[in-house]
Amino acid sequence: MAQTLIQNGTIYTMEDGDTVFTGEILVEDGKIKKIGTRIPEEELSGDVEVIDAAGLNVMPGLIEAHSHIGLFDFNGESSVDDANEMTNPVTLSIDARYSVNPQAREFKAAYSHGITTMLLTPGSGNVFCGLPFALKTYGNNVFDMSIKAPCAVKIALGGNPKGTYGERNQLPMTRMGVAQVLWDTFRKAKDYMEAKESGDHPAYDADMEAMIPALKREIPCKIHCTQHDMLTAIEVANAYGVRFSLEHAWGASNYIDEIVESGCDVCYGPIGTYRAAGERRKVDIEAVKTLDERGVNVALITDSPILSEESLYHHIGEAVREGVPYLRALRMVTINPAHVLGVEDRVGTLREGKDADLILVKGRPGLDTDASVCKTMIDGKVIWQSVS
Amino acid sequence: MYLIKNGRIHVGDGTVLDGCDILTEGRVIRDIAPGICCQEAEVIDASGCEIFPGFIDPHSSVGAMGMPSRYLDNQEKTDPLTPQLNVKYAIDPDEIDAQEFYKSGITAVGLTPGNANVMGGQIAVCKTAHMKMADRLVKEKAALKCSVTSEVKSVYGGRNQMPKTRMGAFWIFQEALRKAKAPEEQEKGKLICEIFEKGSMPAFVAAQTAGEIQGVLEMMKTEHTSLVLVDGYEFDRALEEIKRQNAGLILGNVSDCSQVTKHGMDLGKICDLNENGNLVAFTASNGGFSEGREVFLWTAIEVYRAGADAEEVVKMMTLNPAKMLGVSDRIGTLETGKDADLSIYTGHPVKTYAARVRTSMINGEVVF
Repeated sequence: MAQTLIQNGTIYTMEDGDTVFTGEILVEDGKIKKIGTRIPEEELSGDVEVIDAAGLNVMPGLIEAHSHIGLFDFNGESSVDDANEMTNPVTLSIDARYSVNPQAREFKAAYSHGITTMLLTPGSGNVFCGLPFALKTYGNNVFDMSIKAPCAVKIALGGNPKGTYGERNQLPMTRMGVAQVLWDTFRKAKDYMEAKESGDHPAYDADMEAMIPALKREIPCKIHCTQHDMLTAIEVANAYGVRFSLEHAWGASNYIDEIVESGCDVCYGPIGTYRAAGERRKVDIEAVKTLDERGVNVALITDSPILSEESLYHHIGEAVREGVPYLRALRMVTINPAHVLGVEDRVGTLREGKDADLILVKGRPGLDTDASVCKTMIDGKVIWQSVS
Repeated sequence: MYLIKNGRIHVGDGTVLDGCDILTEGRVIRDIAPGICCQEAEVIDASGCEIFPGFIDPHSSVGAMGMPSRYLDNQEKTDPLTPQLNVKYAIDPDEIDAQEFYKSGITAVGLTPGNANVMGGQIAVCKTAHMKMADRLVKEKAALKCSVTSEVKSVYGGRNQMPKTRMGAFWIFQEALRKAKAPEEQEKGKLICEIFEKGSMPAFVAAQTAGEIQGVLEMMKTEHTSLVLVDGYEFDRALEEIKRQNAGLILGNVSDCSQVTKHGMDLGKICDLNENGNLVAFTASNGGFSEGREVFLWTAIEVYRAGADAEEVVKMMTLNPAKMLGVSDRIGTLETGKDADLSIYTGHPVKTYAARVRTSMINGEVVF
C-alpha cells in the first residue's frame, strides 16, 4: 500500500490546544494515517515515498468559506454572471454546482496558494439566492470535486436584492420589503415541513423542500448582511431556530453583543474596499478579534474572484495587524470555516483519519509577507509544487 | 515640536538609518541626527519601531468624486478633451477623512480625474488628515490625467461619438497634440502645448493592456513631457519599450478581480523596471476607481513577494510617487526641511503583516 511520509516539518495541526511541533505525518489512501514527533517503523509499509519538509511549515490546506469561482466567470473574452438567477426574489433551490466553470483558472490560483477547500455560492442578487456547496479545489469535474452539496442556504439582505427588484418596481425595493420576503418564506417553509411531517401531502415545492434541512439545523443559512441588516438577520433566523452565519458582516463591531447572544458564526470579509457611504462605510476587521475572544466562530473570506484568491493571505494578515494572535487568525482560514461548511470531520486540521489535505509552506502565510507554498497535497496526492 | 527617539528610520530613498533621532518643528523636519537634545520638544519614544515617510498613493479617486450624486465630480464626460479642468474643485475632504488613510501609513494622495476622457484634467496632491484645505493641499496642477482605456470608448462610443474604438481615442489624442502646436490655438491648445511640448507637467496616462501601453509609448516618442503609465497591468509584455522610453509606472490594484488583470502577469519584472531606473509606484485604484486603503499596501506586498527588495519597495511607496507628482521637495523622504509626514510602525509593513501604525504624523501634527 503506497504511503507518503512527510518528515522534519514544523507541524501546525490546528487542533485545539495543540502547540506547533517538529514531527512527521504518514499519509495512506488519501488520509492522514499517523501524526507525531516520530512515526514508529512498524507503521511503514515497504512502499514509502518520503517528502523532506525541513525548514518548512506543514499546515492543513486553507479553507475559503465564501467564494464564487467559476460562477462569476471571468475566464472568457467577456465575463459571465452565472451566480445570480435574478428572476425571482426566492430561488433558493437552485444548485450552484451547475453554474461553475470547472476550467476557471482561479482554481489553480487557489490551490497554488494553499487553498484546498472552498465553499462556492450563488451571488446575492436575490433574497433567497440558492444552494452553496463545498468542494476540493483540484480536479476536472465539479461534481467529483464536491464534498458536501448542498452545504447551506444562501440568503442576502440589503442593497443587492433591493437593487435587483427595486429597478423593476417589484418587491423588495426596500429593507422592509426584504424582511417581508424573509418572514414569508420561512413561515411557508415551516408550514410545508410540518404539513409533510403530519402526514399531509402538500404539492411538491422545490424551494420549500430545499429549506427543510436548514429548518432541521442540518445545514446552516449563510446570510449576506452588513451594518444594521445583521439585526434583521439575527431576529428572523433566531425566530426559526436555524443555524446561520453572517456573511461579510461589515460593521460587526457595533453589534458584538447581539452576535454573541445569537450563537451565529461570522464569515468576515472581504476588506480592502473603498469606504463609501452606506453599506461600505464601516469596514472593521478589528471586529474579528473581539468576536473571536467572545467565542464566536469566525472565518475570513475574500469573495473571490471579486478579490483575488491569494488575498486570503492579506485578510489573515490584516486580522493579525489588528492584534489577533497568529494561530487564532490561522484558525479563521482552517478549522473555523470547516465548521461553517460542515466538513470539519474531513478537513480543517491535521488529525489521524482526516483527509490528507495539507500544504508545505516556506514562512507563515498571513504573517510573513513573503510566505509561499512549496507543495499542496489534496487527498494524499501532491497536486501542485513550486518550480524552485 | 516633537523629538522622535530610538526608531529605525527608513529615509524613503532606499537607505535606512539606525541610531538617529528626528526633530520636528511646525510643519517640517528640523533635524535628523544622532542624540538630538531639545528641551522644548515633546519626546516620542520609538524604541523597537520603524519610521517611514508617509506613503503616497499618486492616483486616487477617493475624495475626487465629490459628493454622492448622479454625476461624479471627477468625470466631466461631455468632451473627451478636458485638460483644463482642475480636480481641486471636485475634492470632498470629508470623504478622504472617512477612509482613515493614515491607519495604512498613507499621508498623501494624488487626486485624479477618472478614465473617461482622453485628457481628463489636472491632478492635485492632498494630505489625508483632517485640516484646513490650504494646509493639506500640497500642489495643484501636478499632472495631466489622460486615458486610452476601454472606458473612453464605452462612454463616447455608447453615444455614437468619437472615440468608439481604440484607434479613435489615439486619433483624438494625436490631433490634440498636433493642433496645439499651431500658433492660432486658443487656451486649451496652449495648455496642451505647454504640457506636451514644454513639459510643464507630467502626463499620467491610464493604459491597461499591452496594446494600449505600446500605443501610448509610440505616440509619446516625440513629446517632451515625462510619461507615467497608470494601471499598466500588461507592463511585462511591453517591458523593453517601457524601459527604452524610461516611462514611469503606477501599478494598479492587483487584488481586485486579479486573475483577470493579473492573468499571466510577471510581477517580478517590476524589478527589471526599477533597476533600469524607471520610476515605479502603486495605487489602490483600478480603472480610475480606488478601493480601500489596505490594497495599496497589498500591492506593495505582492511586489515584495515577487522578489523585489523591501527597501526598494518602500521607495516605490514614498519617494517615487513624490517624484512623479513633482512634490519630492516637500514629501516622500525623511530629510531635514521636508514636511514632517511620517508613520511610526511597530514593524516593517512590507515584510510582516504584524506591523501596525502606532503613531501617524502629518504636517508635524500627531493625527493618529
